[in-house]
Amino acid sequence: MKEKITWLDRLDAGRDTLGKRLAAKEIQLPTELIAGGFFFLLAIVIYIIMPNQVAVADSDVVNGRAFPTLLVGLMLVFSLVLLVQEWIKVKVKKQPLTTKKINLLVEIKALAILGILLITYFLCRITNLFVIGACFCCLGFLVYFRCRKVSYYVITLTMAVLIWAAFRFGLNVSF
Amino acid sequence: MKKRFLSSVLALVMVIVLLAGCGGSKTTSWTVTCPWAPSGVAAMVSQKAASLSTEYSDSIILVADAIKGDAATVNTWVADTKAGDPELVFAGEGLFAITSILDPAKLQFTYDDFVFVENLYSSVFVMSADASLGIKSIDDLKAYLETVEEVSVATNGATGSEAFLAASLLGAMGYGNKLKLTPYSSAAEAAQAVVRGETNLAVSHQSQILESYQQNGVTIVCAFDESDITEGVFAGIEGVGKYGYPYFRNRCFVLARSGTEAKVVEELKALYDDILSDEEMKTWLVDTMMLEVDTMTEADVQAHIQNVQNIVNEYYDLVVQ
Amino acid sequence: MLEFIGPALEHLFTLENFLWMNLGIFIGSVFAAIPGLTVILCVILFLPFTYKMTAIPGMMFLLGIYCAGGYGGSVSAILINTPGTPHAATTMMDGHPLSKRGRTKAALRIALYASAFGGVFSALMLLFLGPQVAQVAARLGTAEYFMVCLFGLTIIAGVSGKSMIKGIISACIGLLISCIGADPLTSYDRFTFGISRLYLGLDLAICLIGLFALVEILSKAEKKPGPLVLDTEKMNDKGEITKEEYKRMLRPTLISSLLGVMVGIIPGTGASEASWLAYDRARAMSRHKEEFGKGSVEGIAAAEAANNAVTGATLIPLLTMGIPGDGTVAIMLSALMINGLNPGLSLFTTQGDIMYAIMIGLVFVNLFMLLQGQFLTKLFAKVVSIPQEILTPIIVIFCFAGAYSVNKNYFDVGVALLFAIAAWFLRKLDMPPVPILLGMVLGNMTETNFRRALLLSNGNPAVFVSSIYCIIFLALTVFAIAALVRSKMKEAKTDKRGEE
Repeated sequence: MKEKITWLDRLDAGRDTLGKRLAAKEIQLPTELIAGGFFFLLAIVIYIIMPNQVAVADSDVVNGRAFPTLLVGLMLVFSLVLLVQEWIKVKVKKQPLTTKKINLLVEIKALAILGILLITYFLCRITNLFVIGACFCCLGFLVYFRCRKVSYYVITLTMAVLIWAAFRFGLNVSF
Repeated sequence: MKKRFLSSVLALVMVIVLLAGCGGSKTTSWTVTCPWAPSGVAAMVSQKAASLSTEYSDSIILVADAIKGDAATVNTWVADTKAGDPELVFAGEGLFAITSILDPAKLQFTYDDFVFVENLYSSVFVMSADASLGIKSIDDLKAYLETVEEVSVATNGATGSEAFLAASLLGAMGYGNKLKLTPYSSAAEAAQAVVRGETNLAVSHQSQILESYQQNGVTIVCAFDESDITEGVFAGIEGVGKYGYPYFRNRCFVLARSGTEAKVVEELKALYDDILSDEEMKTWLVDTMMLEVDTMTEADVQAHIQNVQNIVNEYYDLVVQ
Repeated sequence: MLEFIGPALEHLFTLENFLWMNLGIFIGSVFAAIPGLTVILCVILFLPFTYKMTAIPGMMFLLGIYCAGGYGGSVSAILINTPGTPHAATTMMDGHPLSKRGRTKAALRIALYASAFGGVFSALMLLFLGPQVAQVAARLGTAEYFMVCLFGLTIIAGVSGKSMIKGIISACIGLLISCIGADPLTSYDRFTFGISRLYLGLDLAICLIGLFALVEILSKAEKKPGPLVLDTEKMNDKGEITKEEYKRMLRPTLISSLLGVMVGIIPGTGASEASWLAYDRARAMSRHKEEFGKGSVEGIAAAEAANNAVTGATLIPLLTMGIPGDGTVAIMLSALMINGLNPGLSLFTTQGDIMYAIMIGLVFVNLFMLLQGQFLTKLFAKVVSIPQEILTPIIVIFCFAGAYSVNKNYFDVGVALLFAIAAWFLRKLDMPPVPILLGMVLGNMTETNFRRALLLSNGNPAVFVSSIYCIIFLALTVFAIAALVRSKMKEAKTDKRGEE
């Protein structure tokens, strides 16, 4: 256990150093501008791929493209409204852009969590044994949370196996 | 500390191994995958059959499983199953005769990927009409069709068995150009549509229109079968077959992966035959589900698929416009 | 109705149903008591367990979670001044001050009694009003249903948060997601990109796991999980409620229950709106206005009665028309449909025994919630102290196992992960996720009825004003939009004044 703690200590120390460097780094995200721009582009992309993705018959009274086209139109209009609102805010009212503070450390941490989730997913998928992924997930999160209590490891791993067993034998989900 | 941790991990591994190894005995569990909704007719019959399997066999236990997904589920099943695996799957004329013609790209299998075990049941479709129209027979229908320019028929789904049956009947009667198929999301919705008078006609399973018929919300025009219905609430309803019009029943084949030993297939077929001849099962199928026990041979299955394929090919243009 | 009561009671009174009901109540209470864990998340996580059950035990389990969620949130609101659920914020206004005055147990008991009363009242309303509404709903044809859906879509404004524009964009995304799969009217594929698994569309439950549950896991990056300790020592008062207090609670509890039901029936509103409205009414009508905010028994009772009175009422539009009253019941819809129970009148006629069993069961859910609350509140308070380190991986495992078990395919787990990533991105842009859920629920129904109505009328749009029901729902939609625009303009003005 001594070795494990040393290893965890080193990992935590590394994370602390990185954390200190990133904690102060913040980005101002112009949310309305990005949201407006992104969904405007998304709407255009959906509109462009529609003929390829939605087959229709000439005889249809209202064909399968009508509803998605209406939605894409709505998305375009409201994305534009978002963009225009921001433009008016900045150019006419001389107010600053609507922004949101994004902390780099938080985003890196979210990426680390996403990493744990993705590895769990691929472990389950490749081994076709859900319990392996579940155990990794427990260990991954406990390390992420810098947990040093052995009892927590035992409890979460036991719970992982029990949940798997409940689905496997109780609900007959073969995984 | 380290010892405690290691022993905990060891205990866990043992639990996993023990749990994973559960069920090791001489009986083989055969998982029967139904590729349709768990609440559907096929899934319910499968569940019932599985519950009776232990009464008729010491070596085979049927475990019913329903994974809705239609062709996608069967594709996965074919890809994941090898000959001899204790796995069975359901399929019907919908997959082998309708999807295979309408949308062959969706199927990553052919009939040759399977070996036929048994047919679980067969169900006769009926055509119902808005009660205010007073259509109670084929002759009434013919007279009605003469007087109107368009007839709307409610069906469950746009290109399912019901749609092709409606198209084949009206097409064969010479009124295909007057047909307006109106698809609904479920059989219950289609039945309600004809009751409300939103559509003129509907095609559905007998059980799905029973309540509306009993409450005089609809009249029954005909049955899509060779001869008249002889038993139950719908006794006396004429079959379209006697007029020479096309028809088919809805069937549900139990299939194993091709290459599975003939002896094993025989054993499974015998088990299904025993279950289907069980009095409780028979009564349940007929009275509750309004289905018929209909055991089949490989040749019967081929003939059934061929018949449906012929109908689909002939009336394709009326359904897929 | 009476012909169904006997068989319904026979279906309901089984040990299995009562066990699931109580398990649901317990789990719901614990989840709601933990700040950050929501009732919607709890229902999503435990939904897969109902797939193997029949309709009644499955619904009893989920309703247990749903109703207990109404009460559970008040535990942490009273004990640590942190609402376990958003609507418990109202309870906190007076619950925590009363607790600080050394009457923690009394505050918890008032919350419990009011919750149970509101819940039972709401369940009875569902029992008597549900079938009547279903009778009307049965007369609705395709065009009328489209108008109902259109009215239902006005829900979006209520759940859009600060920006209605962003809410509408989110709803469009949800509606577009509902277009994935085979076209319901022609069977042609739409947006499937050649992936056969997409042919039947995306499962609502799987998307929700990503959209609401897994994204919460990603949000653990935002805050360091501190230990959450609920001091159960505080609960050592006798918990006595005087006769005078009971008398004072009676009127606000009754009025709030009625308000809760009225708010609950309107799709898009929810427990939070109901409890704030009821709290405000109770204060206006009280002879002891000065006590509000300082530990008023009337305030706690009004807030709790109202938020639990919403539970049964939200099921009325769900069971009769398939329009979910809020996000949580939208998920319950899949539990019903997996058992072949499609909302509408036929549910009350062909499946009347099951329907009545569920509705009567809801009364018992609330009664058992009262019992569990009476004896187990101390335990709930202790259970909520589970450390995040343990809770987080367990939630992830539930999410993955749940996503897999819907169609027994890892493809679905991948879809859930993709939705989590998308939800994280949307969160960064302050895009509300609930309109996506509503879009997904109402999308198919809206489109199918719109197109089918035009198909039946040979393309004549006059079909949408062809009946009195169409006109009523059209008027309701216009009225709802006008009211929303007015309230948003009012809000904007207030904000502007605030800024100045």
